Amino acid sequence: MIDSSLSSLGAKVVLTSSSDQNHPSENIIDGNTETFWISTGMFPQEFIIRFAEPTQISTVTMDTYNVKHLKIEKNTSQSASQFEFVTEKELDCTEGRLQSNAISLNGGSATHLRFIITLGYDHFVSVHRVSFRN
Amino acid sequence: MVKLRAKCLLFGDAAVGKSSLSHVFYRDGNLFQKNYSMTTGVELLMKSVTIPESSDSVELYILDSAGKEALLESCEKMWGEPSLLCLVFDLTNEQSFANCSRWMERVQAHCQGLHVPGVLVGNKLDLSDRREVQESEAKEWAQSQGLEYHETSAKEMINCDAPFLTLARAFHALYQERCETIQNLGPG
Ligand SMILES: Nc1nc2c(ncn2[C@@H]2O[C@H](COP(=O)(O)OP(=O)(O)OP(=O)(O)O)[C@@H](O)[C@H]2O)c(=O)[nH]1
Ligand SMILES: [Mg+2]
Repeated sequence: MIDSSLSSLGAKVVLTSSSDQNHPSENIIDGNTETFWISTGMFPQEFIIRFAEPTQISTVTMDTYNVKHLKIEKNTSQSASQFEFVTEKELDCTEGRLQSNAISLNGGSATHLRFIITLGYDHFVSVHRVSFRN
Repeated sequence: MVKLRAKCLLFGDAAVGKSSLSHVFYRDGNLFQKNYSMTTGVELLMKSVTIPESSDSVELYILDSAGKEALLESCEKMWGEPSLLCLVFDLTNEQSFANCSRWMERVQAHCQGLHVPGVLVGNKLDLSDRREVQESEAKEWAQSQGLEYHETSAKEMINCDAPFLTLARAFHALYQERCETIQNLGPG
């Protein structure tokens, strides 16, 4: 199944812990791995994606760089609060090319997904694409 | 325009002037305490530094740790993943300079193999007649450790901003370098 870009499906990045005008958070969900959002120092870092409506998600695929440890939380409420833990993962270091990972979310629907990057392989980490399969 | 955030460890022997230095920097030079008040844990100070010739800034989260050995263990719990290092010694105290190697080793254990930009600061420059450490000697050791060297007087408020500006610039340069690298990455 082809992943469609999340922004075209009405999803939004509603919060990020870092912001650089040159690398805005929309880059996470534009479906393009050449554009990215980058953290601007210190850990943890996080971003929250909101779906237009409760969405069934089985797997999230992520293209990132220098992310070491990642936690994913979700909720089914209208506000970006009160998250429940879904999964966590230690990613491999891939020097010179993007990290590409498919992470199973154990099914269930969500209106918000929260990604917490607790550690990096460098001071700065980048997220190039997040997409979902249901 | 980007606002970077850096966790900056301030460390070195007891009474070399770490807290004095950070307070002078923090308050733009209107506070120097003559009476020694030992830091017993970690004191956090945040100050934003604007990078010259850019609209970018770096927020320095300065963690001023106790220098006293017995108090250090609890401080070290907060040293994880530093962004920047500021090692201070007392120019009038040879031993505080000799201990710098040990301080670096101790801090390196928290850096997880990452390159962390840093500075070495020789403080109490005003006490020139009691000077025990020569500039050339300190500079040479700093270089061997990849640190930039500065001399300051917190008492006379000489040069106290310089180490922190150097650190902020180094972090900003690192960020730009990384952005460039990431821009040119191949697909996964
Ligand atoms: N003459 C002179 N005295 C200084 C200078 N900087 C600090 N002092 C004095 O040195 C003493 C120790 O200064 P602190 O800033 O408390 O030293 P510290 O490194 O934070 O010490 P700990 O918290 O115990 O690790 C104080 O009495 C200060 O007044 C300086 O540049 N010149
Ligand atoms: Mg102190």
